[in-house]
Amino acid sequence: MSKVRVAVDIGGTFTDICILDEATNTLRVQKVPSTRDPIDAALEGIAKAGVNLADITLFSHGTTVATNALIQRNLPHAAVVCTEGFRDVIEIGNSTKADLWDAYQDNPPPYIRRRDRLTIRERTSAAGVVERSIDEAEARELAAKLRKRGYRAVAICFMNAFANGENERALKAVLEAELPGVAVTTSSEVLPEIFEHERFSTTVVNAVLQPVVGDYARRLQDRLAAGGYDSDVLLLHSGGGVMTPKSTDRQAARLASSGIAAGAIANRYIGQLCGYPNVIGFDMGGTSTDVSLAWQGELLTTRDWYIEYGHPICFPSIDIKTIGAGGGSIAWIDEAGSLRNGPQSAGSDPGPACYGRGGEEPANTDANLVLGRLGAGLAGGDLGLDVARARAAIDMRVARPLGMNVEAAAQAILRVANANMADAVRLVSIMRGYDPRDFALVAFGGAGALHGAAIAADLAIPKVIVPPHPGVTSAMGCLLVDIRHDLLSTYLVDSAVADAADIEREFRVLEDEARERLAHEGVAEASMVLTRSIDMRYGGQWRSLTVPVLRPFTNVAAAVEDFGAAHQREYNYRRNGAVVEIFRLNLTAIGVTPKAEFARHAPGGAMPAPRSTRSVTFDEGIQETPIFWREDLPAGVAFAGPAVVEQFDATTLVPPGARAEVDAWLNIVITV
Amino acid sequence: MDKPVTAANQLDPVTFEVLRNAFVNIVDQMAEQVRRTCYSFVVYNRDFSNALCDAEGNTVAQGNQDLAAHVGTLHYTCKAVIEEFGADIHPGDVFLINDPYVGGTHFSDTRVLLPIFVDGRLIAWSQANGHWADMGGSVPGSFDVTAKDMFKEGIRVPPVRIWRKGEYCYDVARLIAKNTRDPDAIIGDMDAQTQAARIAERELKRLCDKYGVGTIETTFAAVQDYVERAVRLRLAELPDGSWETVDFVDQDPSKAEGLIPIHVKMTIAGDAIEFDLTGSHPTIGSIYNSAFGGTFAAIVSGMKTFFPDVPLNAGLYRTVTVTVPDDTIVSARWPVAVTGFVMCFEKIMNAIFELVSRIMPERAMACAFNIEYLQTGGYDARGAGRPYFMLYDWLAGGWGGRNGRDGLGVTASCFGVGLMIQPVEGQERLCPVRTDRLQITTDSAGPGKWRGGVGLDKAGTILDVENCVFSYFCDRERSVVWGIEGGLPGAPHGLWLEPEGEPARFLGAVFSDVPVGKGARFWRGTSGGGGYGDPLERDPERVKEDVVDDYVSLERARKDYGVVLEVVDEDLAEYRVDEAATKRERAHIAAARAGWLDEDPEQIAARYRAGELDLHDVVRRHGVICDWGTGELLANTTRDFRAQMKARCLPSWN
Repeated sequence: MSKVRVAVDIGGTFTDICILDEATNTLRVQKVPSTRDPIDAALEGIAKAGVNLADITLFSHGTTVATNALIQRNLPHAAVVCTEGFRDVIEIGNSTKADLWDAYQDNPPPYIRRRDRLTIRERTSAAGVVERSIDEAEARELAAKLRKRGYRAVAICFMNAFANGENERALKAVLEAELPGVAVTTSSEVLPEIFEHERFSTTVVNAVLQPVVGDYARRLQDRLAAGGYDSDVLLLHSGGGVMTPKSTDRQAARLASSGIAAGAIANRYIGQLCGYPNVIGFDMGGTSTDVSLAWQGELLTTRDWYIEYGHPICFPSIDIKTIGAGGGSIAWIDEAGSLRNGPQSAGSDPGPACYGRGGEEPANTDANLVLGRLGAGLAGGDLGLDVARARAAIDMRVARPLGMNVEAAAQAILRVANANMADAVRLVSIMRGYDPRDFALVAFGGAGALHGAAIAADLAIPKVIVPPHPGVTSAMGCLLVDIRHDLLSTYLVDSAVADAADIEREFRVLEDEARERLAHEGVAEASMVLTRSIDMRYGGQWRSLTVPVLRPFTNVAAAVEDFGAAHQREYNYRRNGAVVEIFRLNLTAIGVTPKAEFARHAPGGAMPAPRSTRSVTFDEGIQETPIFWREDLPAGVAFAGPAVVEQFDATTLVPPGARAEVDAWLNIVITV
Repeated sequence: MDKPVTAANQLDPVTFEVLRNAFVNIVDQMAEQVRRTCYSFVVYNRDFSNALCDAEGNTVAQGNQDLAAHVGTLHYTCKAVIEEFGADIHPGDVFLINDPYVGGTHFSDTRVLLPIFVDGRLIAWSQANGHWADMGGSVPGSFDVTAKDMFKEGIRVPPVRIWRKGEYCYDVARLIAKNTRDPDAIIGDMDAQTQAARIAERELKRLCDKYGVGTIETTFAAVQDYVERAVRLRLAELPDGSWETVDFVDQDPSKAEGLIPIHVKMTIAGDAIEFDLTGSHPTIGSIYNSAFGGTFAAIVSGMKTFFPDVPLNAGLYRTVTVTVPDDTIVSARWPVAVTGFVMCFEKIMNAIFELVSRIMPERAMACAFNIEYLQTGGYDARGAGRPYFMLYDWLAGGWGGRNGRDGLGVTASCFGVGLMIQPVEGQERLCPVRTDRLQITTDSAGPGKWRGGVGLDKAGTILDVENCVFSYFCDRERSVVWGIEGGLPGAPHGLWLEPEGEPARFLGAVFSDVPVGKGARFWRGTSGGGGYGDPLERDPERVKEDVVDDYVSLERARKDYGVVLEVVDEDLAEYRVDEAATKRERAHIAAARAGWLDEDPEQIAARYRAGELDLHDVVRRHGVICDWGTGELLANTTRDFRAQMKARCLPSWN
């Protein structure tokens, strides 16, 4: 048996396992139902695929364990200690609501209740001067109370600790001495960044997740080790890299979007592979669609994200826009007579009407089925689809009220759905100054390949790339990542008086810490890649922009010029001569892991005959359309739309007028 | 269901729905642009709004994240520009206006408007509105509460052109900016808003290319019809009838004490709704007046809260009739000061909450806390240069108790739920003011079967400053946040100042230009929301949980809810309900409370001054309002406050 790399992506319904054979560089996939203990499904799937744990060289993993623990409040008994007078920072938040108008809609409550938020007298000024130190006796009294209450984790969050963490460290030392076995984290080590709500919230999320993630990683590591796997488990995090279980103490919160980062990474990778450094990832599943964007080979990142509204997690994260639209989104006519699509979804139970499980509302999947765009079998034929039920649902809920026939109603449903999704893509691209014509759309997820060409046409995106296994592309993303840490330092100064040497010194401090963290995870010096960037803004402006800078840093003026250019691109204007303020220094530390390489296939295969034909309704009319089986299509073949390509985990639609070809990595590239 | 709305105008249903969403998407894109590039932190914290209007200025789409107080006013300013310039509107023009007397709100809300031409014909307008941090006038931030007319308030900008056929009118822009305290930021915001308006132009032109300009214009009308239709269907489902109430602004500072009534009568007849504000007090001698634009915004916002999913456009506005005679506090005309229109705005909104609670009990809600701003301006003496600073600080507070659940806690005011509270660390870095606490106030929430949400308490110390002054802009120090269906009031607003080496003094909820020096300490709080339902019917276990979390004190658990708790273990925050004592306490309160509202107010005030009664006893038990600094009774105020409290409580107290 040859050596393999394994990536496991655990979702709510299915666990996807991607196995890359190191000898042949070929990829295969295994899908098993998820289990209550997610590790069971992972091991079961690996066994089902015939892989021996001892043959695995690298095990990487995207998990929803952290996300689910947060949403279900299935969290350890934890406390937060704040500066006296500031125990409610995580409850006050920024005082807004997700829905501004619905007075009966509430924000999710904080992860630590008010009763578990304690205070101590201490204070540091905005300039970082300790105005009042921790009183040792008070700290011990507090520790006694914490011990009596039996907390497993304690977060320490003090005002202005981003400027000076001395008091936080002092209390931490006392608590660690007095409370053995309790995980104690401080805001100044988790996120040394100005603005108390964002810092406290991130620290608290980190504190409550640390035991959850730590336990999980340990159990996973132990079970894999028992089967003979002898390396570290690599855990995918929101920043688009992996970390080992050793980093979960400071960075547990980064695992809270582990699940969706993988798709974005795969998007970027596939773009690079095919020669498209600018790609928009369109990952459309049953209930939602994740949109990501890579520009010049780099994924857009954000610090503005959360799992639940009001509780930000400010570690840099891949910027992914999730839209409540998917194959299961329901079409309906509202009270004033307009045809709507979503956000309600039929989900997987009862599912769209065509699943025959009692769903009576028409979903996008039903419309695709009625139009023949989707065949009557899903997920490799395990699940038969009932066209009659789909027709009946569309007829009852949409066609009759609008006075249309069923086919016209199905087309109307999909055109509305596609336009909504195109609008969402527009918000992440055009909005930020990116022209879609410079991009390729990577369409994946269960439904992405069915809708990709239509979305691309709407946005004037010229190319659509459908990877070989659209349904498990996210899992594949887990195979493609390096160990990654993102460090930052708040550094506030007017660029006109900024001292390049001082900035260089500050960067070196970050680099020393980064090297230490990577070394801790077993990364050799030669495999460390450190890159720098600076966040800047016009004096008086509130949002900043990130500009990459070189090592060593010597030229402030050049950085300011780059900032002006970035501002022009992103916001359509710049202000020459205006004050530019440096806001933050960032360092990305990569520990390069040996990367998966996918097999390259030589072109030359013959175009196969279609397996069958069927009549498919397109916007251009009804056409008798050839149906191909994906595995029949060798590298190098090209064909014209209309065509439908089916495979176990997805269906690709090539509309009339479009052309498709299969490239050396077996991607289908559609020219719209 | 009736026929689809699209049948009437020959639009196919897909085009209609796609464009309907596309218009909203355009406004969302404008909002992103404004927020990412603005200069004013007031704008950054979401005091802005954007709209797409048709060629006549009717609003086609407004952002769903926009500030409530701007809703329903953007079409007025657009029409004002059209009226002023008529045929003299050209491609490449950009206009600016902040005039509250032609449908705007107050001078700070400055709107940039861009006419969108296709094939040489005006087809639409895009409009970006932001609250600028300063508009000149007599005090920093342009909120002089002593102003009686506009001449102390700031610069009034009637419709003017800031771009003429693609040429920037630098002179006009400078004239406006140089009349403010921060000209650079004003120019920066003007740029940011202009760019946002241009984004809408670009996107709308793209849609015209794709669908044809005729289809776009037809859809402009259709989306307004669509919203009107949706609202009328909802209104038709509600019972016909008239309901009325009164809410109060605290006082006319130029007159003797006494609450200033705003009457709201709501009449539903079939699928139409009317609000009649006749009987409201004449304009008062402060900035707490509203012109018609602000009043209309309040009414539309109140309605929107009860139909939260209905999109905002002129179709909604067409379902509403507003009747109000001229020159009342809610229909002020030039040159009466209206910068504080939001005080009237919130009274109207809360009155509508109360009226709609009677006919849509599933959306019922008691009164919310009152918006407040503390403005500190002076010279920062911490380092060299001694720059001028302005600290413009607002708090969140509690919203009213609801039917079946407690009110929203520490939420932005109903004036604009998107208005974010500012980070203390940001303030401390920029300004010589240290915050000593910012936390939830125990017992701030109005008691009820479903209590109000909790309010905040903020305290600070002035560091190194020169020539520093405070202005405070708030209300409901006397017209205290009220409960409904037997629920009790929250707590009075107001600010305390303790200059170094002097005793603390109460400055109330509205004052201007009070000097403050180094070392001065100050504190103020926001009320929780009013209670919903009889607090004696609240589940004692819920009261206990509130005590565990310090939302409610042990003492007020007994006095407000009649719930007696025993401490099991203070370290563990463990308590137990004493069932027998609770039963006794509740019976005692039930028997006595109607009488408490009739006790001699002079006696109550005297006992308050003597320390026998505390603030919550005075307001919640006796419905008495005093000058909270001196403890002197405010007799006229108490009379009106008590009358309303009795009307809201007695029928629900068994």
